[in-house]
Amino acid sequence: MQEVYQATVDALFLLIAADPGIWEIIGISFSVSLQAIIYITPPSLMIAFLLAYGNFRGRRALVSIFHTLLAVPAVVVGLTLYILLSRNGPLGDLKLLFTQTAMVIGQMILAFPIVVAMAHSALQSSDRVIWETAKTLGASPQRAMITVMYEARFGLFAAIVAAFSRIIAEVGCSLMVGGNILHHTRNIPTAITLETSKGEFAQGIALGMVLLILALVLNLFLGSARYRFEAA
Amino acid sequence: MQGSLRFDNIEKVYGDRVLLSIDTFRMNPGECTLISGDNGSGKTTLLKIMSGLLKPEQGTVTKNEITLSWIKARPILQSESVYLHQAPYMFDTSVFNNVAYGLRATKVPKSQMEERVWQALRWGNLDHLTPRNAKLLSGGERQRVALTRARIVNPGFLLLDEPTASMDRGSRQQTYELIQRLQREGMSIVISAHDVEAFSNIVDRHFFLEAGHLHKVDIGTKQHKHKSNAVVTPFPKNR
Repeated sequence: MQEVYQATVDALFLLIAADPGIWEIIGISFSVSLQAIIYITPPSLMIAFLLAYGNFRGRRALVSIFHTLLAVPAVVVGLTLYILLSRNGPLGDLKLLFTQTAMVIGQMILAFPIVVAMAHSALQSSDRVIWETAKTLGASPQRAMITVMYEARFGLFAAIVAAFSRIIAEVGCSLMVGGNILHHTRNIPTAITLETSKGEFAQGIALGMVLLILALVLNLFLGSARYRFEAA
Repeated sequence: MQGSLRFDNIEKVYGDRVLLSIDTFRMNPGECTLISGDNGSGKTTLLKIMSGLLKPEQGTVTKNEITLSWIKARPILQSESVYLHQAPYMFDTSVFNNVAYGLRATKVPKSQMEERVWQALRWGNLDHLTPRNAKLLSGGERQRVALTRARIVNPGFLLLDEPTASMDRGSRQQTYELIQRLQREGMSIVISAHDVEAFSNIVDRHFFLEAGHLHKVDIGTKQHKHKSNAVVTPFPKNR
């Protein structure tokens, strides 16, 4: 117990003292995960919209596939990507293995079905009258789509936050395709894994705190935005 | 000036139930038409088809004596009509932005837009509500915003689905007065309603929708319209 207490105090000291090593790892984590979420958000929302409002053959099967992809473990995505990007793999010539780009791609694959499935649920439960109202007032399909998304924005934002929380905390894929290389591909989860295996709990706890604080901040932000809307 | 629109052989099927089987129905410019019928008779479906929001299983539309397939008619219907839901949806923004939506959607220049929106707001007696979030308005105020929002895009045909349903007396009166003003301004209006009596003074034609078919109701002259005078006669197949 004493050991855990001491490690927590040390962790707080590392964070408050702005240890450059810690903040570099945090920076890499945010950079990789933000890139991944920014790249996948527009196509994911479009696909979610088509699945919710489109009327085409195979739509339900596609929804089921996206829901199934939610259960794919990060290590399986990491393994698949590793095989593809390794020197002898079909994409080996791109020389992306053990780079931040590979980590971004891995996290995009992980976040994609989360945003699609959750955004689809949010759009599916939104009032179809929104689409009809926009269309009857002369909106183009694109503008009507943006209107529907704006009206369902809290659900969509929750989908993006959930996906971001998942990818910034995932370890399996980042470890396999990033390689946990210091100053290059070491992010928060891979660093926690490494420090814990070395018995350096303070750094692991400090980084874990960052993840928890991040989750808290995102949820507080989402909650307060909703509260302000409902109280307005 | 918009020409008339004629719908022929409109059929809408849900599952194995034929909801609508309309031989012919004409929307004439400047006319106010009332469609009444029981719950589930297909009034909403018919209005949505007329507005181009819903696709029928079959049917053609004739405009200016040119008969169009549904695919070709749909964009025309969408651009020439505005359909108002029974419970109009208010976008989660100010009353001003709600009224301006149609102008923004059709890319009206900002300089013209503001003036037209203020004019419309005054018309709907909504200027005092301008900055308020439209979602927080009462049922009657919402209906006024919806009518103003529809009027500003100057549709050829205004399709009103139960415009006074679930409203208190005051709101119903206000909504009714706005519809009357729209009618006096020469807008072509199709109203679906249970409350036939309320609209008896403004309608030019009355149809009763039953078992998927439209029946013309004889309403007499405009001065003597009363439900008790109404005589249900089958609507002629080809006019």
